[in-house]
Amino acid sequence: MKFLAVLGLLATASGAATTGAELRFLSCPVYRDTDAGKKSGCWLATDPASGIRYDITTAPTKADWNRAVLVEGRVAANPADNPCGGVVLEAARVSVLDRPCTRHMLPAEGFPGRKFVLPDRNVRPLYASHDLPPKPWVAQNFIIPFDFDSDFITYQLSDYYLDRAVSYALDVRASRVDIMAYAATKPTLVSGERLAEDRAIARSRAERVRDWFTMRGIPLQVVHIRWQDAKVPRPGPETDMLVAPSLRVVDIRITPGA
Amino acid sequence: MAAFNFRPMMWPIAAAAILATVGIAQPPSPPPDRWWKPDEGRRFPAVLDYENDYGVLRTLLIGGPIETRDHAFFRAIGPDGRACVTCHQPADGMSLSAASVQHQWQAVGPRDPLFAAYDGSNCPSLPQQDRASHSLLIDHGLIRIARPWPPLDQNRKPVKADFTIEVVRDPTGCNLDPQWGIDSARHQISVFRRPRPVANFKYIEAMGFAYDPKAGMPLPVDPDTGKPVSGNLMADGRVLSLQSQMREAAGTHLQFMKAMDRKDIAQILDFESRLYVAQQTDRVGGALEADGAEGGPRKLADSPAGRLGSQGVAIWSEFAAWEKPAAIVKDGSAQTAFRQSVARGARLFRDRTFLITDSAGITSPVGFGNPVRNGCAFCHNMSQMGMDVAPGQVDLGTTNQPFADPAPHLPLFRIRCLGKPHPHYGKMILTSDPGYALTTGRCADVGRITLQTLRGLSARAPYFSNGSARDLRGIIDYYDRRYDIRYTEQEKQDMVNLLKSL
Ligand code: HEC
Ligand code: HEC
Repeated sequence: MKFLAVLGLLATASGAATTGAELRFLSCPVYRDTDAGKKSGCWLATDPASGIRYDITTAPTKADWNRAVLVEGRVAANPADNPCGGVVLEAARVSVLDRPCTRHMLPAEGFPGRKFVLPDRNVRPLYASHDLPPKPWVAQNFIIPFDFDSDFITYQLSDYYLDRAVSYALDVRASRVDIMAYAATKPTLVSGERLAEDRAIARSRAERVRDWFTMRGIPLQVVHIRWQDAKVPRPGPETDMLVAPSLRVVDIRITPGA
Repeated sequence: MAAFNFRPMMWPIAAAAILATVGIAQPPSPPPDRWWKPDEGRRFPAVLDYENDYGVLRTLLIGGPIETRDHAFFRAIGPDGRACVTCHQPADGMSLSAASVQHQWQAVGPRDPLFAAYDGSNCPSLPQQDRASHSLLIDHGLIRIARPWPPLDQNRKPVKADFTIEVVRDPTGCNLDPQWGIDSARHQISVFRRPRPVANFKYIEAMGFAYDPKAGMPLPVDPDTGKPVSGNLMADGRVLSLQSQMREAAGTHLQFMKAMDRKDIAQILDFESRLYVAQQTDRVGGALEADGAEGGPRKLADSPAGRLGSQGVAIWSEFAAWEKPAAIVKDGSAQTAFRQSVARGARLFRDRTFLITDSAGITSPVGFGNPVRNGCAFCHNMSQMGMDVAPGQVDLGTTNQPFADPAPHLPLFRIRCLGKPHPHYGKMILTSDPGYALTTGRCADVGRITLQTLRGLSARAPYFSNGSARDLRGIIDYYDRRYDIRYTEQEKQDMVNLLKSL
């Protein structure tokens, strides 16, 4: 514990960041204008509970400097890696909220930022070659993560998983697609506030996901949607093993056709 | 604005191209004008060159020439005597330059079908003999586009908009007109837009990905075919296919109430799909495909379309060879300097980054961040073409206050968002053209305009959908102001030279 506290102190002025701990807080994001080429700017957010400023840049959804964010993630292990001037959160998730914040930009102050690399979770172009899955085709499950209180299909995260699901359904000429959408409606205390998702968001998520299938050519009558309040967290690779975001998902089950 | 001059060189070039393809057969008499009138019956050659302020624009018609007599693109259809070619002129990169409009007004006046009351004047109810009644077309190259309010969806059903629209200023009188305005029986909103180039459609229709990341959705589906489409047509994305564009053009610009027949549609589609347009020669830099460079339309015609420059052929790498000193030492210093400048401009276009702020489509709702550091090639990302591989509706601020340049000649609308406020502007927006929002009915889309092709720019000033950039320098200056880029004078010159050469 002492060791971890020292790491935290190294990285920031006050408080201690516990490596590996799953954090959740509300904050006003600050943009740091680092320049290592395109998409290299830094996003920072201070946890009001500890005063620690975290580096939330690696989240698939980037912040908006006019609006509050819900930050989720784990404190990264390597304190020497500090390209932005904050304790690095890994598996970071940022949800942009409908709440105003003071717009603020910090200069680079010597921090290099991160050079952009194409994330692993990216949708392949239509002109890339594509092989059919080997037979026998079996039923497969897919999980699609969402930002808090949002039904937007997150670029280079949710779109990647949803594209895999839709492609599989097309490849195996799905006879049935079952969509079950969840909303994290049970209030939890975040930065001293009771935070819960709107129940209606589960249905919007279900409908969005359905539209992805039908717009790509899966017949409407094959696609079945349901929605409900989330009860048990099921951390998995789609949510980078984070607990809270695993309540905001859509489950898809694809049954192959003949 | 560039003056319209008839340079002595111009006709020899066009005529030579025509003669080259006609061979020794009866040569058509040299066209009296670079202007293509409806029903002229000229032959459209396989290679057609026209001079402009910076050099020569080339149009390629792949697969060989066509006779335009009785061709649906060139035939006057409808009561106004107009044809498609009236607003999509070969010498103007298959768009329409304000300079050409001015020339037609001087040479022919209000009788030219270009100035037809319906959309070739500020409002059909105005006295059509007066120049002032056509000022938006003559001075800014703008055509009146009447959009239904509330918007209609692809099945012509009203869309429930999440905003209201009021007229703040109506210099043309058309938005408050008892016969043509919002409150008239027509319930129309008049906005004023530049004709978009009718060429290079392999690219404009290309689908690079199955999805539109800006919307977090699959590509839009054309209701006529049930198939996905690129979503890159028209400033406001209101039509999804060239077929439905034709139906709309016939009913509006041509005032032709009969449906176009299948033969006409097939003929126009065939013509559109074979046309490639780009600048071929620069007056100072010489041939744009010389010494290893790959400018001009040939490369466009031969390359696969819809590829992301960031993952394949880098955008404007057409001019990479000119970065190497060996390629550029020959013809004296002015040419060398120009070529080096173009190559630098291409690099700046790709690599020079700045903070992109409050630009819906990029900074919302998709999570690139607001702001996001990136360059011209972020939005203009398609190899060879410079449009957006994804459906390209982005709010650059060209029509929305506070970013838009002052435009007292244009209507001004007040938008009130009824539900959620706009992610960047709040509850109320002042705009001269709501753009994509006139199609979707969403206040979050106000001012989002579909990116155009960047080829053949030299031939078709002014720029941006509302004509707000008078010349190429005006485009660069707008971006410099809008995103606080702080280009040096040399960098601005390099960017302008690049744009000239596309
Ligand atoms: C009165 C002038 C006028 C006439 C006549 C006209 N157009 Fe257009 N055209 C325009 C304008 C203006 C636009 C852009 C409209 C917008 O962005 O909302 C346009 C856009 C287009 C586009 C979309 C290009 C793109 O990349 O988005 C196509 C295709 C097109 N026209 C084809 C035609 C055809 C075919 C005809 C004849 C049937 C025709 N036009 C007649 C003015 C005209
Ligand atoms: C945030 C996205 C974005 C970025 C970044 C961007 N553009 Fe654009 N560009 C657009 C949009 C959207 C339009 C159409 C706007 C309109 O017509 O009102 C456009 C239009 C243009 C046009 C006009 C084409 C015509 O036919 O009128 C040119 C030229 C152009 N951009 C060049 C550039 C250059 C040079 C840069 C870098 C300095 C740049 N763009 C950066 C989105 C972008």
